Amino acid sequence: MENNFSAENSLRLITETIERSRRTMAKNSGKPMILWGVLVAVTSVIIYFLWSKTDNPIWNLLWFAMSAIGGVGTYMIGRNREKTPATEISRILGKIWMWFGFFATGFYVILWIVAAIRYTAGMDGILRVDMTMLILMMMGLCGAISGSVMNQKAVSISSVLATALSVIFLLLIPDGSPLQILTFLILGVFALIIPGLILQNKAKA
Amino acid sequence: MPENGKFFKPLDPLLHSELRLAVMSILLDAGSADFVYLKAETGATSGNLSVQLDKLQQAGYIEVTKGFKGKMPQTVCSITDKGRDAFASYVEALRSYISPDNR
Repeated sequence: MENNFSAENSLRLITETIERSRRTMAKNSGKPMILWGVLVAVTSVIIYFLWSKTDNPIWNLLWFAMSAIGGVGTYMIGRNREKTPATEISRILGKIWMWFGFFATGFYVILWIVAAIRYTAGMDGILRVDMTMLILMMMGLCGAISGSVMNQKAVSISSVLATALSVIFLLLIPDGSPLQILTFLILGVFALIIPGLILQNKAKA
Repeated sequence: MPENGKFFKPLDPLLHSELRLAVMSILLDAGSADFVYLKAETGATSGNLSVQLDKLQQAGYIEVTKGFKGKMPQTVCSITDKGRDAFASYVEALRSYISPDNR
């Protein structure tokens, strides 16, 4: 039987094996997105509540705590899938979001350092950088690219829609209002939770 | 090999086997995978899979690394550059059997 299959059968076997293997590997691939989506949505609501109550944006530091929790959660999900190998696609996705994390965190750190230098040097004026807008744009871009890499139009569309809704919301609210943080609630739901659920359902199908 | 006036490229006998081809297809996509995963995906028995992996390893198409994950033994198979090249040549040869102009 071993060497009796035709060229067509060989090509079919290659295609089917790769597709079946990819489906297996895609199982639970939506879980990290759902985890991060819930974390982003919940953290944004908590920060909004605390910022509104205390009138102090210092609560934005909670994003760092959220990143730590998300990192541990992502590791735990990965550990439970340890027998499933990574695909080239999952490696690319990991790198896209690693660079997002690097830029987002690096941006926050640089901003705090510059603010501290300006304060120490007694420089006048307000440091005007719309961090929320920049993070939103980066997150939307990474989500849209991820959807394209996975060949999942729904994920790309959801990311673009989430970014558009968030940016419109951000432009409509008063400058400096704690409401701005709720844009991440929109982003968490539309750019992470919904695409994550779509991926989970496709993997189960 | 001439056949009906047309030429077909020879098929690598090492890859022209269902189980070995399935293993190579998985490794081509994933880069590396452990024995348990390959067994589950191919539906092969442990004995048969071990024999076929050994053949692929001897040909230099894959590398087999035995180690431990925690206290559990783990065998990880990775495709080599030679294996990728052989797979590409095999697919090219298959196409010569299917293509009407016998590339």
